[in-house]
Amino acid sequence: MRAAPIGRVVATELKPATPHQFHFWTATETSIGIGAIVRVEEGGGGKGEGERVVYGVVTDGFAYSDLATPLHDVIGAEGDPARAAAAPTVRQEIRLWTAAVLRQIPEEPLQPVPLGGVHMASDADVAQALRMDTYVHGAKPTAIPVGLYTSGGLESPVYLDADFLVGPEAAHLNISGVSGLATKTSAVEFLLGSIFQHFPAHRGKVAAVCFNVKGPDLLFLDQPGQLQDEDRRRYARLGVEPVPFAQVHFYAPFKADGVNLNTLRTHPDLADAVEPLVWGLTEVLDFAEVLLNRDDIDAKADAFIDFLSDRVVRRDFDDGFGGQHRVETFADLERLFRGIFDGLELASRGDIWRTHHIATIRKVRNRLGNVSTRCKGLVTDDGPASDLPWGQFADRTVHVIDVANVDPLGQDLVFARVVSKLREHLERRDLGVDAVVVFVDELNKYAPADGPETYVKKMLLDISERGRYLGLVLFGAEQFRSQVHRRVVGNAGTQVFGRMDADELATPGYQVLSPATKIKLATLPIGELMVRHPHFTQPIFVRFPRPPVLRGRDGVERFPPAPDLPFEEAVVRQLLRVAPAIRPNQIKDLIAGREEQDVRRAVGAVRRERPGDILALFRKRLGGRVAPEAARERTAVPPLNPIAEEPY
Amino acid sequence: MSGRRDWLAGLYAAGVTPASFVPDASVGRASERDEAPGAEIELVEDAELAVHPVAPGPPPAGVAFLDGIQQWKVIGYDGVLPIAVAYVAAAVRRRGPDRRPHTVDWEERELVIAPPAALRPDRRAAIEALGLEVVPPAEGTAAQPGQLLEALRREVHRARLSLEKALGERALDRLGGGEWLVVDGQLSVSALLARHPRALGVIKSHGAQFLEGRHLERALTIPASHRTSVFRVRGGHGRTAVDSWYLRLWPWEGNDLHYGLLRIEARPSVDAAAVSGWLAGERTPLAAPDARFDRLLYPIHDVENYLRSRAPRDLLASPASRLPRTGT
Repeated sequence: MRAAPIGRVVATELKPATPHQFHFWTATETSIGIGAIVRVEEGGGGKGEGERVVYGVVTDGFAYSDLATPLHDVIGAEGDPARAAAAPTVRQEIRLWTAAVLRQIPEEPLQPVPLGGVHMASDADVAQALRMDTYVHGAKPTAIPVGLYTSGGLESPVYLDADFLVGPEAAHLNISGVSGLATKTSAVEFLLGSIFQHFPAHRGKVAAVCFNVKGPDLLFLDQPGQLQDEDRRRYARLGVEPVPFAQVHFYAPFKADGVNLNTLRTHPDLADAVEPLVWGLTEVLDFAEVLLNRDDIDAKADAFIDFLSDRVVRRDFDDGFGGQHRVETFADLERLFRGIFDGLELASRGDIWRTHHIATIRKVRNRLGNVSTRCKGLVTDDGPASDLPWGQFADRTVHVIDVANVDPLGQDLVFARVVSKLREHLERRDLGVDAVVVFVDELNKYAPADGPETYVKKMLLDISERGRYLGLVLFGAEQFRSQVHRRVVGNAGTQVFGRMDADELATPGYQVLSPATKIKLATLPIGELMVRHPHFTQPIFVRFPRPPVLRGRDGVERFPPAPDLPFEEAVVRQLLRVAPAIRPNQIKDLIAGREEQDVRRAVGAVRRERPGDILALFRKRLGGRVAPEAARERTAVPPLNPIAEEPY
Repeated sequence: MSGRRDWLAGLYAAGVTPASFVPDASVGRASERDEAPGAEIELVEDAELAVHPVAPGPPPAGVAFLDGIQQWKVIGYDGVLPIAVAYVAAAVRRRGPDRRPHTVDWEERELVIAPPAALRPDRRAAIEALGLEVVPPAEGTAAQPGQLLEALRREVHRARLSLEKALGERALDRLGGGEWLVVDGQLSVSALLARHPRALGVIKSHGAQFLEGRHLERALTIPASHRTSVFRVRGGHGRTAVDSWYLRLWPWEGNDLHYGLLRIEARPSVDAAAVSGWLAGERTPLAAPDARFDRLLYPIHDVENYLRSRAPRDLLASPASRLPRTGT
C-alpha cells in the first residue's frame, strides 16, 4: 500500500516548477525540514508521457498566513498581543517549501517537476536520489559510509564513492567549520575508520598519514573511546565496526635534549608506541628551499646547495686542499666548510672555490648551520636518521606524525618531506600501499588563499591537482574555507561542512546555498555535517556517530604525559624499546661520565641498525673511554734569597 | 474543465453565439436585498429598545460555520436570449478545541440556466450529456436580455440559498452536544434552523430594517461591544418567528452607520447576552483583506476562502484587460 503524500507540489507564475526547483506545501505539523529528501510522483494523471518521479532536497521553507498586512493583526487585536494569541480562530497558515531537484526518473527528456504528490523519502529513495545505487550495489561496490541521512524518523545510510573519494575518478576531501563545534577531527577519524573497513579490496591497499598539528588531537587513535548506545546503533546502521584503529604508528621528533620525545603521548603505558622522527643532513638538504626563505636563497646560493647535494653529500670528496671528506651529517659538512675556508686562506687563492664565491659559501654555511639549531630534536647535527618506513607501508595502517610542538619551520619541513617522499614512492609504486590519505589540519596555514608562494603551498596545489592519479589523497581541514587557496579546495571532490561562522557564510563561496541552508549550517549541532560529493547534485546533511577512538582531550586525562626524564633515564628507555631484555644498570654504567652528544649518537646508531647484540654495538659506538689525565703535582721552588726579616 | 469546453463546442455548433460575460456579482457574492415584506416585530427583552453592553465570554467548545458562494457566467446567446453557466457551493467548517476550522460538509452544484426557448432538444442534449443540471429562470421568459440577466442572477441566488439550507439542516443533525451552528445570513429561511436552540444567523447587510423612529436610530448608533434589546421577528422571508438583535463589533464613529454592525437571528429565548459575548470575540482575527472585514466573522471568511479555493476558475473574470495590447 502506498503511503499517503505529505505534501503537494504547487506552481504559480511567480513561483513556477522548473526542472531544477519546485515548491510544495505540507500540513502545518510536519516532519519535513531543511535538508529533507522528498519524492514527487506525477500520479496517474500523466498525460501519456509516463509517470515521472522526481527526488528533491528541501532548501528553504516559508510560513505565512492569510494576513494581508501586519497592521490587520494589530487592528484585530486592538494592539494587544495577548488578545491576538487568544483569538477564537487560528488564522489559516501555510508551510511552503522550496526543494532543489536531486534526480529525475526518467532523466530524459528533462522537464519541469510535475504538480504531483510529495512523499517522504524511504531508504531506497535516498539511494536513488543520491545516485548511490550505481556504486552501493553491484559486483564491485565502492561505497564508503559517511553518515546517516536523518529526517522524519528515517535513518538512511549515505555512502561516498571510493572512486571519487580516494581516486582515480576524483579525489580529496575538504572539511571546514568553526573550531570546537564543527567536529572536523572527529569526522575525519570516523571517515578514515570507515574507509579502512569498506575500501574495496579490488581497489588495492590503503594507508593514512595524519599530521597532528595541535594538542593531543590525533594521539590516541589506537585507544577505544567512549560510545553511547545511540552511537553503536548508528554504527550498526552504517555497517561500520566501532573499533579503534588496529595499526597505528606514532612519530614525534625529540625535544632539544635529543632524548625525550616532543609529544604529549609520553605516558609510560603508551610511550613505547611512539617512534622518534629524526633527520640528518641528507634528509634535509633536498628541502633546503623549505627551510630557507627567498631572501636567503638567491640563484648563487641555490647553485651551491645543488652542488653540495649532487657532488658532495654521501660521496668521497676532495676539497682541493688535500682534505678528504665524506659528508653525511651536519658535523661532516661543517668540517668541509672549515677545510675550504682554511684552504683558501692558507693557499691565498682568492675568494673563489670551485666557481663559488666565498661569501655564498659562508651564507649557505650560516643558514644550514641554523637549521639544526632551529629544528633541534628533529634535525640532528651528526646523528643518523630515524624515519617513516618508506617502502614498507602496510595496508589499513595509520601513521600519525606529531608536530604540534615543533617550530613552524620544522612543521613545514616535516610536511614537505613526508609528502614528497609519499609522492616519490607512489610514483614508483613501491610504497607498500596503492593509496595514501594525508590528513592536514589548519590547511589555511599551509595553503592560504593569499600570501607568498611557499614550497608547501606549491606542493599542496600539486597534490590537489595531480594526486588522484598517484593515489595521494589530501584530506584537508580548516576553519575558514574562504582563506584556503581556491585550487586546493576546488579540487576536493568531496566537501564537508560542519558548523560555520556567519561571516564565513557571507563570503562568495557560499552564494549557491539558500539562506535557510546557511542558517542550518550556522547552527549545525555537533555530529551533523553537510556533504557535497560528485554523485550528489545538491548538498546533503548527514549525522555520524562519535569516532570509536579516544578523543585527544580525554586521552590526555586518561594517559597524562610523563614528565621529561633525566638524560640517563631517557637513554635507558630508548634502548629498552629496542632491546627490552637488557638491564638498565648496564646502560647507565656505560654512559656514566660520557658526553651527551656521544651518547645520543650511539643511541641513534643502535636505533637505526637494531643489531642482535645491542650492548656491544652501543659500547662500540660510544668508543673507548679515555681516562682523564691526573694533574701533575708541582714542586715548590724556594726563593733564591729569602728575606727573613721582611716585615710585610 | 475540458468537459465544459466540449459541451460549449457542441452548443456553439448548434447555433448558439459564443459569449463571455462575467457579471460583477460573480466575483464576490453581492448582498441580496434582504427586504422583509410584511415582517412584524415585538420587543421581548425590554419595554423600550435599550442598549446593553456586551461582556466578553468564551466561545463554545465547538462551533460550526456555514456559508456559500455563487459564480456564474453568460456563455452564449440564442439570438438575444442569454445562456448562463453557474456554480454554487456551500460548506460547513467546524472549529474545535484546536481553534482551527475543519470541513465537515461541502457540496457544489453546476447548472446551466437558460430560457426554455434557448434550449432546443439538441442543445439540451449536449448539456445533459455531461450531467449538468438545466434550470429555466423562475421569472418566466422576458424577451429583454437585461431583464433576463436579472432573472438568471436571481436563479443563481436561489440555487445557492437552497444549497446552504440543505447543508445547514444536515449540519444540525451532526451537531454535537453543546455545539453551535453559525449561518452566514438569515436563519429564518429554514424552519429547522430557526427552531434549533444552538443555531445563529449572522446578517451583515441591513437592507431590511425592522425598526423605525427612535428605535432605529438607537439600533444603528449603538457603540462598539454593545447590543440592542432582543426583538422577535415574525413573517417576512421566513415563516418561523426568530429573535433578533443588533450587535456592534467595531466603533462606527468616523465610518458609516453600518460599520461593524451585525444583526443576529436565533431561536426565541436564546440567551442574547451570552451569545453576543462570544460573537463579539469573533471579530479577532480580522477578516481582512475582505472589504467587509468590519462585519465578516473570520470563520465565515475562512469558509468563503475554502469554497473559492475549490471553485472552478473559468467563471471568474480574467484579471487582464480584454482590450488588445497596443504595444509600447
